[in-house]
Amino acid sequence: MTTDASIGLDALRSMRTDRRKRRVQDMEWFETLYRVYLAALIGGSGIVFLSSLVKDQPFTTSQFDTLRLDGPRYVGLVMAVVWFLGMRSGANGGPVNVEEAEVRHVLLAPVDRAKVLRHPAVQRMRTLAYTGLLAGAAAGLMIGKRAPKDWGWGRQEWVILGAAGGAMIGASFIIAALLVHSSRVNRSLVTFVATALVAWQGAAAFHHSHPWAPFTAFGRLALSSVNGVDFVSYAVLAVLAVIAVHQAGQLRVEALARRSALVSQLKFAVTLQDIRTVVLLRRQLSQEHMREKPWFKIPALLRKDPVISRCLHSLAHFPLRRIARMALLAATAAIAQVAVWRGTTPALVVSGLAMFMMGLDIVEPLSQEVDRPDRTDSLPVERGLLHAKHLVVPAIATIPFVVIGGVVAYLAEPHPMTIVAGALVGLPAALGGLCGAVINTIKGAPDPLSEANAGLYMPPEVSGMTTVIRAVWPPIVSIFGSTSLAVLRSAVDRGESALGSMVRGALGVGMLCFLVAGWVRQRDAIRAWFRNATRPQNLNSNSTSPTGQKA
Amino acid sequence: MARNPRTPRVRETSGDAPAVQLPPAALEIKGLAKSYGDAPALDPVDLRIEHGDRVALIGHNGSGKTTMLRIVTGLLDATEGTSTICGNATGSLAARAAVSYVADQPSFYDDLTLWEHLEYVARLHGNADWEQQAADLLGHLGLYDRADDLPNRFSRGLKQKAALAIGFIRPFEVLIVDEPFVGLDSAGKEALLELLAQASEDGATVLVATHELSFVHTVNRIVALRDGRLVYDGAATGIDVDRLVRSEDPAGEHDGEAH
Repeated sequence: MTTDASIGLDALRSMRTDRRKRRVQDMEWFETLYRVYLAALIGGSGIVFLSSLVKDQPFTTSQFDTLRLDGPRYVGLVMAVVWFLGMRSGANGGPVNVEEAEVRHVLLAPVDRAKVLRHPAVQRMRTLAYTGLLAGAAAGLMIGKRAPKDWGWGRQEWVILGAAGGAMIGASFIIAALLVHSSRVNRSLVTFVATALVAWQGAAAFHHSHPWAPFTAFGRLALSSVNGVDFVSYAVLAVLAVIAVHQAGQLRVEALARRSALVSQLKFAVTLQDIRTVVLLRRQLSQEHMREKPWFKIPALLRKDPVISRCLHSLAHFPLRRIARMALLAATAAIAQVAVWRGTTPALVVSGLAMFMMGLDIVEPLSQEVDRPDRTDSLPVERGLLHAKHLVVPAIATIPFVVIGGVVAYLAEPHPMTIVAGALVGLPAALGGLCGAVINTIKGAPDPLSEANAGLYMPPEVSGMTTVIRAVWPPIVSIFGSTSLAVLRSAVDRGESALGSMVRGALGVGMLCFLVAGWVRQRDAIRAWFRNATRPQNLNSNSTSPTGQKA
Repeated sequence: MARNPRTPRVRETSGDAPAVQLPPAALEIKGLAKSYGDAPALDPVDLRIEHGDRVALIGHNGSGKTTMLRIVTGLLDATEGTSTICGNATGSLAARAAVSYVADQPSFYDDLTLWEHLEYVARLHGNADWEQQAADLLGHLGLYDRADDLPNRFSRGLKQKAALAIGFIRPFEVLIVDEPFVGLDSAGKEALLELLAQASEDGATVLVATHELSFVHTVNRIVALRDGRLVYDGAATGIDVDRLVRSEDPAGEHDGEAH
């Protein structure tokens, strides 16, 4: 029996090399190149579209000074949020994922775990650093295009510094996660510290005194205003990266075992654009369980209707973390709406997506029903009616979050009109998010064997585009719900009545909600009608069964 | 290797009386507990299994058997308490070298054949002369013809046999097996019983979570869990396994130790 860790390491190295060689040998090169081509096509189109949103007029001197003075603190805030997410991931057992068999056969063998786990840890850090590098380079390019010509720097310098800042921010996620996971700190403490870091950096960004904050130095790197002291911050990050990788052997086997099975399912669900499964697996990964003791008792009056009662029971068991997340999403949407009001129209996408994500949580009772179609079909109730009744409670449950959003919006934009707008814009935005989530839930994952897809003999580009459209239109519906404020701003710019515009916007979203509810109620009937309408006439009227009976 | 199934315990001592120092057990558990949030899966359990013991771990579904086995093999972290394998803390290099665990849910690499699995695991444990042993194991379990197939594509029973082969290809002092008889045909059960007997003869400590009577009748000790609590730890002779799992006082007239 061996306890010499180096013996197993030789086997590990040679097996990893053999497996890598075999993967390369087994690779379908044509398919891989085709994937690269599709990614380039979609990615390139996206970049061209996003570039068109950014105007190329050079910054004025004052704009440029503001960017270099205030920008680093905002970039630092982004990094603080990345640290928050990384620390939370580490507390939940992230960020390293290894195969289930690797956990059983290698991590339980007398092999130095640090040497086994450093490789996937570095791989993940490299991937995120590279992603950050690309994002930072793109941002640097956009700034470089608009930087004043007389400032003396070309686009290359901006791109290089943006890439360096982006890479550090990207790698931070893994560094934070590894440090937290390997040090096995209590999850509540991690959340507290991570929140404090965000609040600290937030104070640096938004408070008039602009106190020193730990992440501002990285923003200064990306925006070319580095000072000598900042190199201490970069050195600290480098040291933390080394410690994080060195400590990889301390990662908990329990967490790795739990994640190994879930992450492979998660990847599969992502490839199917199955958002519901992604949501469920994410909850399992972060160990978000329903609360055993309900928050409140359901009044007898509301228990009379079984569906209303069932929905309320579901909400009563929501874990605190989910409620906090929904409140945070409502606050995010409110801040984005304030940004829209101040002229950043694309922020409505942020608002719409935040509301969509909140909708995915709040529509849980309906999702539970849709997840179990056999049970639904065994009930003596029409499915459409049952599903439609499941919308009532989630729609009402959005109201507290609209209030939270309204309060946040008022804090950001303290004006009496904000309160009115909070109600007339916030509620439609929340209901729009709910509509998108409902569509996503009811339609579920794309079914490759469905009749609609079976008949598709189209080029892969077109077929792929159909799949993409199917996946993205629920979020688009949610974003539509958030457009009321943009309509209001446009009306105010034109000198029209603000209240009238808000009411028109709210009515538009109200109509959307009505249509979605009607679609949920009549979906089966619509599908039956559509099938009959598209079926060839001879099949419709003259088809006979094999026994000769008319169908 | 036969020993008194009743575990000797360290008594509280006072005054000048020296404490009884026991040699390291094959498996020792002290106050081991596990809970998931507020839900307890295993209440504090104390257990000492000596070298060469042949133990059946029994209990109904959800009694905490798999949780306990996963903790002692290092796959789960205990909420409280400690466990050691041959005197080494669970999860340590020496403990991992000493214990072979065959889980209830087999797990294989997608891209390795059964033979390659055996080679990999054997070499990870420094077993240089693995080939003849692997051939013998596969022949014994009726898997010789499937050596070059991917075990992830096997049926449930074949997967179970493949997992057992992997569990036996490496050297071990303590063998822990969770529900190994599930999914096996009668020939497979027979082969497994022979392997377990052989392991015992070679001096290994064998701990198997099972209700399979053909195995339970061969053990010298039974440990029973119910609702996460250790309810019986004692001799196997004359025990009604079903009664032991279900009844409120399973020790009854038996001389086992209920904790």
